[in-house]
Amino acid sequence: MSQNQVDILKRALAREKSARKQAEKILEHKATELFEVNEKLKKSNIGLEKLLLRTDSQLQGVFENIVDAYVIIDLSGNILKMNEAAVSLLGFKHTKEDFNLIKMVHFSELKRVQESFKILFDEGSITDFNVNLITKDKQSKIVHINASIIYDEGVPVAAQGIVRDITKEKAHEEQLIASESRLSTLILNLDSGVVLEDENRKIVLTNNKFTELFNIDIDPSELIGQDCLASSEQNSALFKSPEGFLKRMREVDEKKEIVIGDELEMVNDKILERNYIPIVQGDQLKGYLWTFKDVTLNRTYRKSLEVEKQKYYSIISNMNLGLIEVDLDDRILMVNQSLVKMTGYSEKELIGIKGKDILPLKKDEDILKQKLRERKQGKTESYELRIKTKAGEIRHWLVSGAPNYNIKGEIIGSIGINFDITEIKNLQLQKESLLKKLEKSNDELHEYAHIVSHDLKSPLRSIYALTTWLKEDNKDKLDTASIQNFDLIESTLEKMEQLITDILKYSSIGSDEHDKVHVDIDTILKDLLEINYTPNHIKISVQNELPIIWGNKTKLQQLFQNLISNAVKFIDKEEGFIDICFEEFENHYQFSVKDNGMGIDEKFHDKIFKIFHSLNKRKDSTGIGLSIVKKIVELHDGEIWLESTPNVGTTFYFTLKK
Amino acid sequence: MKNLKILLIEDDLIEVMKFKRAISSLGLNHQLIEATNGEDALKILEEKDNIPDIILLDLNMPKINGIEFLSILKKDNTLKYVPTVILTTSSNQRDLLACYEIGIAGYVLKPLKYEDYVQKIEKLLAYWSINELKKL
Repeated sequence: MSQNQVDILKRALAREKSARKQAEKILEHKATELFEVNEKLKKSNIGLEKLLLRTDSQLQGVFENIVDAYVIIDLSGNILKMNEAAVSLLGFKHTKEDFNLIKMVHFSELKRVQESFKILFDEGSITDFNVNLITKDKQSKIVHINASIIYDEGVPVAAQGIVRDITKEKAHEEQLIASESRLSTLILNLDSGVVLEDENRKIVLTNNKFTELFNIDIDPSELIGQDCLASSEQNSALFKSPEGFLKRMREVDEKKEIVIGDELEMVNDKILERNYIPIVQGDQLKGYLWTFKDVTLNRTYRKSLEVEKQKYYSIISNMNLGLIEVDLDDRILMVNQSLVKMTGYSEKELIGIKGKDILPLKKDEDILKQKLRERKQGKTESYELRIKTKAGEIRHWLVSGAPNYNIKGEIIGSIGINFDITEIKNLQLQKESLLKKLEKSNDELHEYAHIVSHDLKSPLRSIYALTTWLKEDNKDKLDTASIQNFDLIESTLEKMEQLITDILKYSSIGSDEHDKVHVDIDTILKDLLEINYTPNHIKISVQNELPIIWGNKTKLQQLFQNLISNAVKFIDKEEGFIDICFEEFENHYQFSVKDNGMGIDEKFHDKIFKIFHSLNKRKDSTGIGLSIVKKIVELHDGEIWLESTPNVGTTFYFTLKK
Repeated sequence: MKNLKILLIEDDLIEVMKFKRAISSLGLNHQLIEATNGEDALKILEEKDNIPDIILLDLNMPKINGIEFLSILKKDNTLKYVPTVILTTSSNQRDLLACYEIGIAGYVLKPLKYEDYVQKIEKLLAYWSINELKKL
């Protein structure tokens, strides 16, 4: 190490020594200062305590008598002192409890509390500070605090405060606000136009509906403060009678009495209902409430309802049907004019009585009772009833009844509509008796025909027998001419007998549905051709498989027999033929009988079907055969006609219903 | 062939003559009792020892008509066994059915021609001549 280096180190050491000595000196000085401050603090504390004690004794009385809670805390929030009210407010057990108030502050409020503490320190006091506290006994309370700093010789040492529980007040206030806002929303959106005026007719409150009804194109809130008197004069133009509107308004306004249900007709055909309610507090008029409601729809509904009602009422009272309404006890509630006429009783006599007891004929009472019972079970139907009118006349009614329901769907009685069918009924009864009579007279006619035929035939038979005997007994005495005359008598008798037989047959053809069966025409024809004699020179051919007909077997048989024998009779050719054919149609069968006989001139076509219109005066023709044919065809809902060429042949066509 | 005791109930004189002339011309020896109406016939039938073997009955008669007479006959315990043949002009189906319902032994229509009549009577009597009848 060089001397130089040693010198440097020596100098540095010396500097260090002097620095330390200086530092020790400073330390010593500071310690003395600290001691002095400490002493001062001690003194001030003692003073403060003294002050406190003194204040204590001074405030004790006030303190204990304060209704509100009173709390003193140190600057960190520790409770130094509180009164009984504070104990109960904050949920303590006694006044000496040691507790930091900050702990009671709801965590969400901490920031606000810190800020308020700052205000308290900076400005020395804070008023109307509301805070949510969780009390010692775990209750949430909103409290109102007024606080100030306590200074000791200008130095803040503590804070004191009066705490009031405003939880309930707050809740009430909130409720009030809520209900107010509900109310105003309600008014704003009310279906009626509302205007609340103060005593000077300035608008205090109005709503959307009002602006809408009066075509005011601004927000209701902007109307507040406007003069109603002036604006109503403007609005009067909206009404059909502006003068009337204003006059009535002034009237109402002057009387200051409640007016309900004034109707105002507007230019745009709307109908407004106006109500006026003065608002009086004590004896003092505080304002007026006007409400306006659009009742156009109601009025038109009511009007059209009224019109409809009138219409149906007029239909009901003027229709030719008797209407009767009864309750569940069958007492008459309502009758219409027709029913009054139909019964002969007056409306007064009918209302309230039991119709079933006086109206129906004794014999029909049970029918009516039965039907009324069924109606109460909800049955609807119509039936016939005999009624005795007040004058004692018996009338036939067609009654249609239905249960009557109320709005809830319960049966409350029934309504009957009655139609007098006496005339129709009489006609029907008349028809029935006529039918019976007709049946009887038909029957008698049938019998009569047989008797007549018998009575006519008997003398013929006798004459025949006598003629025969005369001829027999005088065989040798009679000449040829006389014998011929006898023969003529006999053949005339035969013709006459045939005539009587045919008339009987013709008159016996009536329509008797009971005799109808399924008749196989095929079989009928085969039987006919087998039984009846056909001359050798005539060939009869029948189309195969003739149909089956619903009809009278004997008559159908006669029909074919008459046509065939007719054809046979009039065939004048050496080789004769008769063709029988049929064709099927939708509703009927058409048959044809064709021959190559002498033919019939067209001018006789209608005549031949008429009774006794024989064209040929022949021994074997009575002129009834075709009439019988036509009658039989008609009995089977058919028609008959013919086509014929004289000297060539004839075709008879006829139809029979399927 | 045995001879029959025949009760002819007929109101028409000529009809009776026809019947008589027929059996005589046919050479038959049947015994004939005549009654011109139902009442007479019932009187005759009261004599129980003179009951006929067969009755020929016309339907159209005054007073009691044929069908009424037939009904009375069929209610009588003795007479109901006497075969009764209807001899009539009536071709009325109702009469025919009514008769068969009450009970008859035949229904013969009187023809117009006398010759036909004789033939029918011949056959009718021939038939009943060979029949066994209740001994009365």
